[in-house]
Amino acid sequence: MWWFKFPTVISLCMAIGLVLSVSRDAKADQGWHNFDVTGTSPDLSFTAARARTDQTVSQEDFRGKIVLLYFGYTNCPDICPFTLSHAANILDDLGSTASQIRFLFVTVDPDRDTPKILAEYMQDFGPDFIGLRPTPDQLAALARRYRIAYSVTPASAGHDEEVVHSSAIYAFDKSGAARLLIPSLGSTTPDIAGTEADLKRLANESATDGLLAHVRAWFSFGS
Amino acid sequence: MEALAAADTKPVASPLWRGTIAIVLIGLILQWLVRDHTADLPAIAPWDFFWSEYLAIALAGLWYARGVNSLAAGHRPALWRQIFFWIGIALIYAVLLTRFEYMAQHMFFLNRLQHMVMHHLAPFLIALAWPGEAILQGMPASLRQMLRAAWLRHAMRVLQHPIVAGLLFVGLINLWLIPAVHFRAMLNTTLYELMNWSMVADGLLFWCLVLDPRNRPAARISLGIRMLVVILVMFPQILSGSWLAFSTRMIYPYYDLCGRLYPSIGALSDQHYGGLIVWIPSAMMSSLAFMLILNHLRIEDERMAALGPPAGTGPLISSSAWTGR
Repeated sequence: MWWFKFPTVISLCMAIGLVLSVSRDAKADQGWHNFDVTGTSPDLSFTAARARTDQTVSQEDFRGKIVLLYFGYTNCPDICPFTLSHAANILDDLGSTASQIRFLFVTVDPDRDTPKILAEYMQDFGPDFIGLRPTPDQLAALARRYRIAYSVTPASAGHDEEVVHSSAIYAFDKSGAARLLIPSLGSTTPDIAGTEADLKRLANESATDGLLAHVRAWFSFGS
Repeated sequence: MEALAAADTKPVASPLWRGTIAIVLIGLILQWLVRDHTADLPAIAPWDFFWSEYLAIALAGLWYARGVNSLAAGHRPALWRQIFFWIGIALIYAVLLTRFEYMAQHMFFLNRLQHMVMHHLAPFLIALAWPGEAILQGMPASLRQMLRAAWLRHAMRVLQHPIVAGLLFVGLINLWLIPAVHFRAMLNTTLYELMNWSMVADGLLFWCLVLDPRNRPAARISLGIRMLVVILVMFPQILSGSWLAFSTRMIYPYYDLCGRLYPSIGALSDQHYGGLIVWIPSAMMSSLAFMLILNHLRIEDERMAALGPPAGTGPLISSSAWTGR
């Protein structure tokens, strides 16, 4: 047939390959208990003020650590405290492995979460919990990069204050590559055991394992 | 092409390079503002700045404006066509390069609305505007020459084969709706941009094929085939739209993980509204296209009738007995 030519066949094969590679199920793949975002979400990159010292920090300050990145606010009634206390339990359970992990709590309400309030709030959960206060522009850049929804609507007549933030935790490996989205820690039915297993696995990974996971993410067709 | 050659002789209105430099400069300023000052920008400013999207929209606008100005009066598109073109371009800009994009990343039904505009509404209006001749006339001559390449014409012939075009039209909407694909496309910038490009490009290919104001052989396919195609593509959209509209479980975890903009709209309601958008407006666009093609057929019929019966010895079939004309 006139349109059944070599370039057409090649393009068709490439299209099918692309479809298969992007349609991998993020959860069933490679035995992770959380959503695998290897090769999908961008590397860790941010600038924000650290609540305790009020000094600007970036991803460089956490190189070599597994970073858990979470967005919330200290007045949060349920999801944030649930997430933080579940994460604190997980770090306790992990013992010595926990020294390789840092939990970054980015406030989406920097107006009310002053450095002092945020630093004190973080203290309740442990030394590995770090409060970050971005400027509005830094917060927007972070939200854009990691596709995070956030907004603060102050209380008005007849309406309570409304703060929108994401519920999942991003996990980055020691090289700073995004690896997992952890959905359940803010809920009443958190997958503590699964998340512990995933974090242990990340902690035991060598640099080559991380790289291999990256390559595999783009070449594992529909598995 | 003959029309173009004739129009080529008229001098163009404004130097192309001046407009192009202005577009690039505005792009650089926008990119800087978006990168460093997002929080201070009004909602009409981009949320995320994609050079490829910005340049395609801005250059198409520049080339069209320049082309319309430089075409001879007889070849210039009618005013209503020009208005349709600018509305179509403005709609694509609005859903891709304003704060609406952020909203569409955080509510499934707004995401479906964005896709409806990118794939159905805006390309439909642009196809009705039939801007090809003006854009070709307004673009740099070297680029125009490149577009005449044989491989490109061959590719267009394949892509606008009615079966390929119809399959692509419904296939692409549904491809980006596959849950695992949707998840990745929403998180990954490159896939996200590819998704948006594929939607707009396929929308233009499809609607330009079925709303071609010319007849065969200038147009690729006959009016009858066009009617068949616009009706056939309606059913898979109704199917996937109603599947979403009546869903009883959460299909797209991305919106829960990264946050919904309006907490008052629950996850399932969001999904149901999204399904309704895939289902109803898309089917309406098909019906509208069907009516427009029918109208094209009627005009064509009347024109043929005015020319008198064709010369020949074959049996003469008259429709006057049942149409009264």
